[in-house]
Amino acid sequence: MKRLLLALLCFLSFSVYANEPTATTEEATDKKAFSPGEMILHHIGDSHEWHFATLGDEEHGTHFTIPLPVIAYRSAQGLQVFSSSKLAEGKVYEGLKLEHEHLVSEDGSKVYDFSITKNVASLLLSAALLLIVFTAVARGYAKRGSGAPKGIQSFFEPIIVFIRDEVAKKSIGPKYERYMPYLLTVFFFIWFNNLMGLMPGGANLTGNIAVTLTLAVLTLLITLFSSNKNYWHHIFATPGVPKPLLPIMIPVELIGIVVKPFSLMVRLFANITAGHIVTLSFISLIFIFQSIYVSPVSVAFGLFINVLELMVAILQAYIFTLLTAMYIGGAVEEHHDADYQMGGGDGAEPAHAH
Amino acid sequence: MTESPAQPPRPPDSDSNADRMRAVAKYSGIGAQMLATIGLSTWAGYWLDEHFQNKTPWFTLSLMLLGLFAALYNVIRSVSKQE
Repeated sequence: MKRLLLALLCFLSFSVYANEPTATTEEATDKKAFSPGEMILHHIGDSHEWHFATLGDEEHGTHFTIPLPVIAYRSAQGLQVFSSSKLAEGKVYEGLKLEHEHLVSEDGSKVYDFSITKNVASLLLSAALLLIVFTAVARGYAKRGSGAPKGIQSFFEPIIVFIRDEVAKKSIGPKYERYMPYLLTVFFFIWFNNLMGLMPGGANLTGNIAVTLTLAVLTLLITLFSSNKNYWHHIFATPGVPKPLLPIMIPVELIGIVVKPFSLMVRLFANITAGHIVTLSFISLIFIFQSIYVSPVSVAFGLFINVLELMVAILQAYIFTLLTAMYIGGAVEEHHDADYQMGGGDGAEPAHAH
Repeated sequence: MTESPAQPPRPPDSDSNADRMRAVAKYSGIGAQMLATIGLSTWAGYWLDEHFQNKTPWFTLSLMLLGLFAALYNVIRSVSKQE
């Protein structure tokens, strides 16, 4: 069985092996082989410098990078701020070095890394961009009131109205107005950052699980803090559930509270990361096969995925916002009689379901 | 999504499109939530078993079953809820 698998593996990867000898004869022998996995993981990960392109090979080529500030704190040395170019290519600076984009101390002491990394820089950039765009939109409303929108305002007005009418009003109900700032912020933040991540040289911010975790935690906190008595009543004394079952039902309901934001976090992270990985994989095909004849196919597929990602960018922003609104809606929902038929036996259908 | 023809007519195109998108988002959300419930609880059970060095993975088993039950319960609850 093992031998069969091995034979299958050899057969399947035959074309790759076949190309290797030509590569080594053409290129200098000391050049590192192209590893798509490493390249892709490096691309979607965070970094201490902002790398755009490299002309030539890794060692001798010209790198186009923007060095970013490294802010490190160690209990012995205190706070240190310096440029990340001092750590470039494995250099050691004041006992600090980068190991796979991880700031470590040479003497093994704990380093707290508060650096402005690529993702942090991108976050600040997008925050500035959002502020510029939406202060301009707000200025438009201040100037023209409810008159016809103009310029950038007229581009964003339908989107804002869509979020208000289709997302907030329908999911939250009459109390929707309080949550509009958060919903709009989250929508435009995710959308803008998804799009910025698709730009060449952009950072994969919304494909970073720490960022999506923060967004999900915000949603969780807003849901919990805006929850009413009815919400908690549902969790600790679910209507229609017999008392002896409550010890099982309460953990089940509590799991539900945590899982909702968790699924938000994973969905956004996975969708954006997967999009980047697929695009890069198609581009990598050229370098894996080391043939120019692969490039039309891989560029075409890469472009297709990239255009698809443009749609995914707004779709994921919409889904995140909609589900956030639904969770908030569930928490602020007023008591209604359909609840009494929940789990009430014999498939009692709420009379006014639709 | 589930509009019956007997209902009073709504503004046609945009509204039904929005409703369809809303339904897609909602039900895909329910699916993801189901996956996350089972995954999270299984992972928690696995972690607990590692932590307590159990010979038989009781935590994994019981928490996985609880997660499965919770996932199904939440799915049923969210699809039968009035909305």
